[in-house]
Amino acid sequence: MATTPSPQDKVAWEPRDEMTVLNKDARRLDGPVKVTGRAVYPHDVRLPNMVYARLLVHPAPRSKLTRVDVEPARQVPGVVYAEVLKSGGEEVLYQGDDAVLAVVAAETPEAAEDGVRAVVVELEELWPPMVTPEQALADDSPKITENGNVVVAGTRGDQAEVEATLGRCDAVVEASYSLPVQHHACLETHGCVVDFDGEKATTYPSTQMVTGSTGMFARELGISRSDVRVLTPYMGGGFGAKFGIGKEGAVASEVAKALMRPVHLMLTRPQEFLMAGNRSGSKQVMKGGATKDGVFQALYVEADKHGGMGRGSLPTPPYIYDVASNASTIRQVHTATDANRAMRAPGHPQASFAMESMVDELSYAIGMDPVEFRKKNLSSEVYHRQLDRVAKEIGWAEHEHRTEPGKVDGNVRVGIGFGVSTWGSGGRPGCKCEVRIEADGSIRSSVGTQDLGTGSRTYVASIVAEEFGLELSQVEARIGDSDLPPSVGSGGSVTTGSLAPAVKDAAHNARVALCDKVAPVLECDPDELTWQGGKVYPTGEPDRALTWKEACATVGSDPLVAMGEFQPHLHQGRVHGAQAAKISVDTLTGEIKVLKMVTIQDQGIPLIRSALRSQINGGMVQALSYGLLEQRVHDADLGYMLTANLEDYKIAGVQEIPEMVAIIDDDDTRQTVCGMAEATCIPGHAAIANALYNACGVRIRDLPLSADRVVTELAKRI
Amino acid sequence: MTIDNSMQISFELNGSMRRARVEPHERLIDLLRDVLGETGTKEGCGEGECGACTVLVEGRAVNSCLFPAPEVEGLRVVTIEGLCGEGLQLSPVQAAFLEGGATQCGFCTPGMVVSTVALLGENPAPSASDIRNALTGNLCRCTGYVQIVEAIQSAAAKLSAGGEA
Ligand code: FES
Ligand code: FES
Repeated sequence: MATTPSPQDKVAWEPRDEMTVLNKDARRLDGPVKVTGRAVYPHDVRLPNMVYARLLVHPAPRSKLTRVDVEPARQVPGVVYAEVLKSGGEEVLYQGDDAVLAVVAAETPEAAEDGVRAVVVELEELWPPMVTPEQALADDSPKITENGNVVVAGTRGDQAEVEATLGRCDAVVEASYSLPVQHHACLETHGCVVDFDGEKATTYPSTQMVTGSTGMFARELGISRSDVRVLTPYMGGGFGAKFGIGKEGAVASEVAKALMRPVHLMLTRPQEFLMAGNRSGSKQVMKGGATKDGVFQALYVEADKHGGMGRGSLPTPPYIYDVASNASTIRQVHTATDANRAMRAPGHPQASFAMESMVDELSYAIGMDPVEFRKKNLSSEVYHRQLDRVAKEIGWAEHEHRTEPGKVDGNVRVGIGFGVSTWGSGGRPGCKCEVRIEADGSIRSSVGTQDLGTGSRTYVASIVAEEFGLELSQVEARIGDSDLPPSVGSGGSVTTGSLAPAVKDAAHNARVALCDKVAPVLECDPDELTWQGGKVYPTGEPDRALTWKEACATVGSDPLVAMGEFQPHLHQGRVHGAQAAKISVDTLTGEIKVLKMVTIQDQGIPLIRSALRSQINGGMVQALSYGLLEQRVHDADLGYMLTANLEDYKIAGVQEIPEMVAIIDDDDTRQTVCGMAEATCIPGHAAIANALYNACGVRIRDLPLSADRVVTELAKRI
Repeated sequence: MTIDNSMQISFELNGSMRRARVEPHERLIDLLRDVLGETGTKEGCGEGECGACTVLVEGRAVNSCLFPAPEVEGLRVVTIEGLCGEGLQLSPVQAAFLEGGATQCGFCTPGMVVSTVALLGENPAPSASDIRNALTGNLCRCTGYVQIVEAIQSAAAKLSAGGEA
C-alpha cells in the first residue's frame, strides 16, 4: 500500500544536535561481510556452467594488422570459443580498447589465458607511435583524430590587458607546471559476468551505475531494458572509471549471446592500465603577477590537456582564486592512447597543482605569508576559517620560516605548505527510494544505488533509522539491484546530494503514514507523535509509549510501503576544503618524507562521521600518491606503456602514510546534505610541493616530486 | 598429444582436509577461488604487488597469486573464510576492522585481515613500524590506511589482554 504525505508537512532534516543516528560514527552495514570475505564482488561471481573469457589486447598503440588468427586458440583444451574482434587489414588507431583484437572463452581461466597466448597476430607497427604530447605537437606528425592532434577547447579574457596589468605588478612569476597521467588503480579491475538465456539477462558488472547499466547491456544483447537485471551489491572501487560497461561488457555480452552460457570477463591488471581510463595529464604555462599589498592582480595561462583520445579535463583558470585580470587558452593535445575518463574531481588536482604553486610562488616573491596571501585572494570566508584551522593544526605559527624558504646545508629540512579545494557536487532528480514496514516490525529501505565504498548502503538505512528513532541495526538496506527503485550513477560526488534526499523523503512519507495508523491507538493527533528510542508516544507523554513492534502491528497484513524521491531543498551542492602538509627533505639525497597532512572539509550535515573521515583520509593519500609516486610512462620510440602493472606504477602504501588529521568542518551549519569525496584529493600534492619549497627553496613544477628531480634542483642551490 | 602432468594433492583448508587434482603450474589462488569456490581471497594484480590474495600457509602470509598450488601438499592453509569462529563469529582482527571502520570498497580487506593475523600470530604486540612492515605488501586505494592501522592497533591491544588473533 503506497501512502502520500500530508501536504502541509514539508520534509526537512532534523537539527543536528537532536540526531541520534546521523552525524555520528557508524558501523558500516556491509562491514561484516567484507571482513569475513563473504561479500561477493563481480570478480567472485561463480555460476553453474559459466565460462571464463579473456581479451587479447595488443600493447602497440598504432598498427596495421595483417593477420589475427584464433584457430590455434580453438585447439587449446578447454577453450570453447575464440573469435577475432579486429581482423587483418584493419588498423589499430590507439592503445587501449581499440587494440582489443580477439576474445577467448574457456572452461577455466587458465585455458582462456592459454587460448589468448595461442592467437597468432601479425602486424606492422606504425611510427611514430604518437604516445607523447611532443610527438602529437610535432609539425609533420600524423593526424590521430578527425579534428587533428590539437584542438582549442576554450579561450577567454584579453591577453593584452593581462600583460598590461602584469606590467604594473611588483612581482611576476613565469612558470610551466606539468602533471603526468594518473590511473584510478581500483583494486578490482573492470569487468562483469553476463548470464543470458536468449530472452532475459542477469548481469554482474563492477560498476558505479547499477540502474543505468541495464540500458547498456540491453543494447549489446539486443533485448529490452526491462529484460536486463543488474546486480552489483559490492564492487571494488571506481573513482570515476566504472560508468559504462566498456568494451569488456560489450564483448562479454557477445560471447554470452553466442554460447548461451554465463560469461565471466574481468580485465587483467595490465589491461586495466591500458584500456580502463585515466586522469588526463596536463601542462600549464603561467604568467602571474601580484602587488606588494598581497593582491594577485593578473594571470595568463596557456594550458594543454593530455587526455589521449579523450578531451582531458581542466577547470578554467584562475580556478578558485580571485584574479581580476585574467586570460587563458586551453587546448586538447591528443595522443594515440586510451581516452581519459572521469577521475575523482576531474581536472581539479591538475588545476590545483599549477594554481597553488603559482599562488605560493607569488607570496614568497612579495615576501608575504602564503596563508595570508591565499586568504587575501579568496573571497569566501569559508576558506579563511578553513585555512586558519589547518594552519593551526599543522603548527604554522610556530614554524621558523614562513615567508622565505629554509637553507640547503646538507641537513634534513622541514617545510609546510598549503592548498584549498572546491567541488560542485550537487544533486539531481533520478533517485527513488522505497521504505517498507511490516507488521512484525521489520523495516527495509531499498534503492538501486551502488556503494563504491563511500558508505551509501549504510545511510540508506541510517536516514530511516533516524526518522523513527530506531537503532541503525534495526533497518535493513537493500541496494545494488536494478530491480529496486532507480538511482543516479555515482559520479561527481552526486550520490549523496541526489540519494539522501530521496531516502529522507521516503522515510518521512513512511512516518506520516505510520503516524496515521498509530494515532487512533494512542488517541492523539497524528502530527503529535514523537518517535524516540525505539518507541512512539504522544508528544510530552512518554509513559503512554508503544514499542516499535507494537506500533508496527497497526500496519495490518499488507506492508506499509512509502516511496520518496529527490527533494531539491534537502541538498546544497558546493563544498570547500583546505589542506596542509608538513614534510622533511634530506638536502643531500633529495628524499622527501611527508610527516603530517591535515584536511578540513565541509559538506553540510555529516551523515556518517566515520565514513567522512575515511573519505578524507583516502583522498589525502591519493593526492600524496599522485604528488610523490604516480606516473604513467611510455617508451616514446616503441610506444609501449612501461608502467602497465602495479610494480612500475606505484601507488602509496602504508609506508608512505604520514600522521593524518581529518577534520569535518562543523562550522558549516548548512542544514542540507552534499557529497564531498572529490574535493579531498584535490590540493594535497600541491601542498606537499609547496612544503618542499618552504623547506629548502626547491620549487619542483613537474610531478611526481621524485628524489632525482629534487636532487637536481638542490644542486643548483648549493 | 596432450600430456597430463596433473597431480593429486591433499592439504588442510580452513580446518578440513581437501583433496584436489592440480596442474604443476597452477596458482594457489586459482585452486582456492575457481576450483574450491573460496572467493573471499581476491586477485588485484596477479603479480605479487597488491596483497589482496594473501592467505596463510602454515601460519605465514603468502601471496596466493605467486604460490604454486602443488606446494600446499600436506600443509595447513587458512583463508579469510577460515578466520571466523562458530556461527560466523568474528575473530578479534575482523571485529577490529569492523568496529574501526577500516573498510571502504573492501576489496583489499581480506588480504589486510589475513596479513594482520599473520603479524599478530608472530608478534602480538607490534610497534607502529612492525605494523607498517607487515602491511607493506598490501595496497588499499580507498581508505588511506589510517583506520586500517588503527584497527590493527586495537586488535593487538585486545590480543595482549588475552585472546587469539
Ligand atoms: S593478486 Fe596477489 S599480490 Fe596482487
Ligand atoms: S577498501 Fe578499497 S582497496 Fe581498500
